[in-house]
Amino acid sequence: MAQHDDFEATEFLSEGRSPTGDPERTLDIHFTGSGSEYFRIWIVNLLLTLVTFTLYWPFARARRLAYFQNNTLVGRDPLGFHGDPWKMFRGYVLMLMFGVSYWAVSNFAPSFAWLPLLVLAVLWPALWRASLQFRLRNTSWRGVRMAFEGDLQGAYLCMLPFFIPVLLMGVAFGVAASTTRGAEEGEAGAALAAATGLMVLAMTALSPWLLARIKRYQHGGYAFAQERTRLTAGLGAFYGFSFRVMGVSLLCSALLAGVGGIVAALVGASAGAGMVLLPFLLALAYLVFPLVLMPYTTSRLQNLVWGHTRSRRIGFESQLRFAPLMRLTAKNWLLIALTLGLYWPFAKVHTARLRLEAMGVSVQGDLNAWLARAQGADKGILGDAAGDFFGIDMGL
Amino acid sequence: MNAMPRLPSTWFDGRSPRAQACDLCIEGEELVLTLESGVRRYPLREVRWAERRSHGHRQSELPDGSLIQHADAGEWDAWRQASGQREGAVVGWMQSWRATLVAMVASVVFLGAAWTWGVPWLSQALAQQVPHSLEVRLGEQGMQQLDRLFLQPSALPAQQQEALRTRFRSAVERAFPEGSSPAWQLAFHRSQALGANAFALPGGFIVITDDLVNLLTDQPDAITGVLAHELGHVHHRHGLDLMVRASLVSALVGVVLGDASGFLASVPATLATQAYSRDAERAADAFAAQLLERSGVSPSVMVAFFERIRQQEETDQDDGGHGDTTLPIAIASHPGHDERIRFFREWQPEPARP
Repeated sequence: MAQHDDFEATEFLSEGRSPTGDPERTLDIHFTGSGSEYFRIWIVNLLLTLVTFTLYWPFARARRLAYFQNNTLVGRDPLGFHGDPWKMFRGYVLMLMFGVSYWAVSNFAPSFAWLPLLVLAVLWPALWRASLQFRLRNTSWRGVRMAFEGDLQGAYLCMLPFFIPVLLMGVAFGVAASTTRGAEEGEAGAALAAATGLMVLAMTALSPWLLARIKRYQHGGYAFAQERTRLTAGLGAFYGFSFRVMGVSLLCSALLAGVGGIVAALVGASAGAGMVLLPFLLALAYLVFPLVLMPYTTSRLQNLVWGHTRSRRIGFESQLRFAPLMRLTAKNWLLIALTLGLYWPFAKVHTARLRLEAMGVSVQGDLNAWLARAQGADKGILGDAAGDFFGIDMGL
Repeated sequence: MNAMPRLPSTWFDGRSPRAQACDLCIEGEELVLTLESGVRRYPLREVRWAERRSHGHRQSELPDGSLIQHADAGEWDAWRQASGQREGAVVGWMQSWRATLVAMVASVVFLGAAWTWGVPWLSQALAQQVPHSLEVRLGEQGMQQLDRLFLQPSALPAQQQEALRTRFRSAVERAFPEGSSPAWQLAFHRSQALGANAFALPGGFIVITDDLVNLLTDQPDAITGVLAHELGHVHHRHGLDLMVRASLVSALVGVVLGDASGFLASVPATLATQAYSRDAERAADAFAAQLLERSGVSPSVMVAFFERIRQQEETDQDDGGHGDTTLPIAIASHPGHDERIRFFREWQPEPARP
């Protein structure tokens, strides 16, 4: 259970070392969290969250984040988490109110459901940035708080391409709706379908570019002491990544089709066999896609993004391999199913260990001489809740 | 008073990543931090102490943003204890396997209770709070949507429609002589997609399809029974009720599964809705049986209805499972036919009704 019991005191980096040149050192990342301990934390958090009608949730989240960050050792020092649960609570209540009002509007006045969605879409980049700021500001290493320095304008600009197709789509639907009132229903429908198809095609072709924009903003905004990171990966790398993901998903589809073909040949291709085969194939697809495609995407994206994140004197590397992540995912799923979900916290800890320990940080020069820049006021209560509500979090 | 124990540890000032050796001691209500450069004092209450755990470093945050970091967890805990400091109840709870087990059982019990009593009670209470005018608007919106997607104007002669409507109205009036029946509005529609079917929307909109009327042409009382079943849904506000329940269940599932996949989360929500909707059908059946009985019609007229449906299902299956398999008010979310036939055949009025 305790494989890292031999904690060593913080290393004093430059004491007694001659300052000739700027030697580069690689700091390994270790994850010391334990599944059984996180299980206990999880269960107690769950009970408290349930009996308080989810009001305890931000406190549970703060504890969970602190557990994971305190157990992430960069070099020999852990990350710290300093988020104030009461501030997270305020943000949570605000998001809860937004969620409930969205629910009420979409159920009782569905014709106005676009309104809260529009409000959310307009606020979204700001919320995303606020969540990154909150998270980074409350993360420390060796006592120094990190920061997210991407500006508001950048957040809106990097997400702008998402809004244009959505707006066009809205206009197209509006036009179509007004024309369907008239006679030529079929024509308008066909035009609408064509427009939708074109839009989807364009979005698919542009999605690597969109991903690159977003990641460039996100990974260009991390700051520690005087260092600020940037993403050095070019557009070509993101297109390469997308093509490989597409290739793997095509491979999965071909595999499924192959299995289907073989089974069909064995059973005989009657209509009844088809009825049996289809659900079987669907079930297989539900297994194969998350088990293969998800670990593949996760590992390649982590390597792409973190492997190309660096600042003047800090560089990251990530060598997360696909096969171990896939094996772990398969094992996790199986055990979660067998234990009716009780294995969940163990799965989470094991995944975090695999993903974190695949990474390393290289630092140039004398860390001890670095100085933190002046820290801004501790604002942004909304940030964290918004980020978690919609599942946005740091790449790790 | 004994001398308080001291602990050599590491301190970061929050401005530089440089670690400094320090010495910790608790004196009265203060934490005293001795550095090479001098002594710092902090009120105990303002220190954010690390929670006790068996893994990871201990980090305690001081009010000026500086940080004490201690690598040896056991050493730290021993020092805290020797200094007479106590930790929160929740933290101790998480360290004990027995308490964790208790928490697990309590969670399961809570979820079970929420499922069986909490969600139905809360959704009924909320559904009853919704003003009738809002309910009517909801129903109107639903009708408009259905009209556009599935419904065509009825091909039944106006005379037959009026006869059925009058028959149902008089049955309702006989069952509720004091005029306390829920408001309703009956519409006939032809629908290829829905087949022989009947349904109710919030606000009292009841729709019956031509196919169902034709299936029961010689059994007008069974049609009255079907409409009474739908009126039962209106009376209990089942449309709103189920909507609220589905949302509550998905919220509950969301809490438990947290960031697990959306697909996993949707499965129990669907199952729950199905289970609840079977309860709703039973309640509507009970309402129908009562209404029929009080208007002087035997509830067993409904038996004919279920038997016809079963016949239709069987012919559909003989055709090879293709074609129109949509079943009148009987889908997977309904209890089995046998159970419902037995219910209407054996139904007895309760001796005393509140």
